[in-house]
Amino acid sequence: MTAIPYIIERDFKRFFRYKWWLAGMISMNLADLFIMALVYTKMIKFVDYFRFFAPGITVTALFAAAFMIGREVNWEVRRDYYYYLLSLPVKHWELALGRVLSGALRGMVYMFPLLLIDFAFLGIPPLSQTLIILLTLFLLSLGISGLSITIAVSTNNFEKFAVMRGLTYYILFFCSTVFYPLELIKEISAQGVIPPFLAVMAEINPLSNGADLIRSFLLGNPPFNVKLIISIVVFSLPIAFISSFAYAKILRRQK
Amino acid sequence: MGEVLYVIERDVKMFLNHKILLFMRALWFIAQISLFGLIASRMVIVPNYFEYYAAGITITILYSTAVFIGYDIYEEAEHGIVEYLLSLPISRKKLAIGRSIGGGLRSFIYVAPLMGIVLALIGIRNPINFLLAFFSLFLFAFGVAGMSITVAMGVKSADKFDILMGALDALIVRLSTVMYPKAFMEQANPFYSELANFNPLTFASELFRWGAGIEQYLAFSPLLSALVIMFFFSIFTLIGIIFYERRLEGGGWQ
Repeated sequence: MTAIPYIIERDFKRFFRYKWWLAGMISMNLADLFIMALVYTKMIKFVDYFRFFAPGITVTALFAAAFMIGREVNWEVRRDYYYYLLSLPVKHWELALGRVLSGALRGMVYMFPLLLIDFAFLGIPPLSQTLIILLTLFLLSLGISGLSITIAVSTNNFEKFAVMRGLTYYILFFCSTVFYPLELIKEISAQGVIPPFLAVMAEINPLSNGADLIRSFLLGNPPFNVKLIISIVVFSLPIAFISSFAYAKILRRQK
Repeated sequence: MGEVLYVIERDVKMFLNHKILLFMRALWFIAQISLFGLIASRMVIVPNYFEYYAAGITITILYSTAVFIGYDIYEEAEHGIVEYLLSLPISRKKLAIGRSIGGGLRSFIYVAPLMGIVLALIGIRNPINFLLAFFSLFLFAFGVAGMSITVAMGVKSADKFDILMGALDALIVRLSTVMYPKAFMEQANPFYSELANFNPLTFASELFRWGAGIEQYLAFSPLLSALVIMFFFSIFTLIGIIFYERRLEGGGWQ
């Protein structure tokens, strides 16, 4: 296990080198919350949109930061950077696990200030609920990091990677309850305005479950259901395992 | 004029080479309208919000693609392509004018089909109004390209440029009437509403909506919007050209 902290440290240093990306994302997240959500609050009557959206933007931030690791991994695959990684006195599985873990931790670190904003505006939950939120979000971040790495190692063609990455990003982002409640999506789907599979996707989307878990503890709506956690576990653990396996396999294959 | 056309042609070709980026932007646009726009229109108390939002998103994509020229110019400076441009038998002024026109024109070429989709969805009630609005949006795209060139040539640190553009992109869209009518911005925070009064995206989206016949939420008269867009175009195109031309001399871009 000794090499994993070094891998995580390296990935964190690289993460904070993306100043432009961080600045853009922070501006975007804060502008979404303190400008867009505040204005929408005045336009929507059935829900306090600011309170509804705050957990959504927290999960979005987690998603964007954890998903970032895929870009780096794909770059390494395309540019033969893995030769350097293979020259390190690190076992393949340590490298693979370290990359997935660092992606997840980067997501958590980036998301944390937004979670604090949630607590500041929506209330601080009891310690047990806070721990459940943190643990579940970490699992979610692990799954997202794994998903991103799986996509990254599946091709060394940048164009294919960019399309796959973008499609995954948009599907998870827009077909979720980050912006709108699930009941509304289901209602619109039942009316035939959007295809029914989009409502199903929104329901099983891990981003929806992450946002709804925070809402259930901080807002009480939707009510807490253990299914929210189970679905995140079912998404994240296999993906984290598959991505570690795929990453280690790519390293071995290209050696 | 022929030399300017070559510069424009080069910029348009460079832009169309970003196939993946353009494809993803188009996908984002479709997702915004077909998912967010449709669902949000059922959430809000604003009648005809879908039409309102679709028109606003068209302006957002016009803005974000016109801004690309700044990134291209910045990359050219970073990769030493400016020297190649300077070696061409084209005067500095023509090069600068070509870049500014090319930056706006290429975004318009890209956005035109997407705009067509939106207009097919929301319809055009008065073709003459629409033509006037269309012409103003042309000027808007050139103005944004000029603004982007000014920033690209004015900021020498890559980090500062990216941070500035990222923050500008995040704020300029949200502090405009692209996504929501001004009356609701006023209710949420009068300061946001005040800032929207100085935002070119506000006036561009107002004009586009007026052109498409969505006049219910107009906060400014179309004449005022058109004048502001013309002012924006004149100032930033002029500054962009002068700045670009001056910086080119003596390695000012380095």
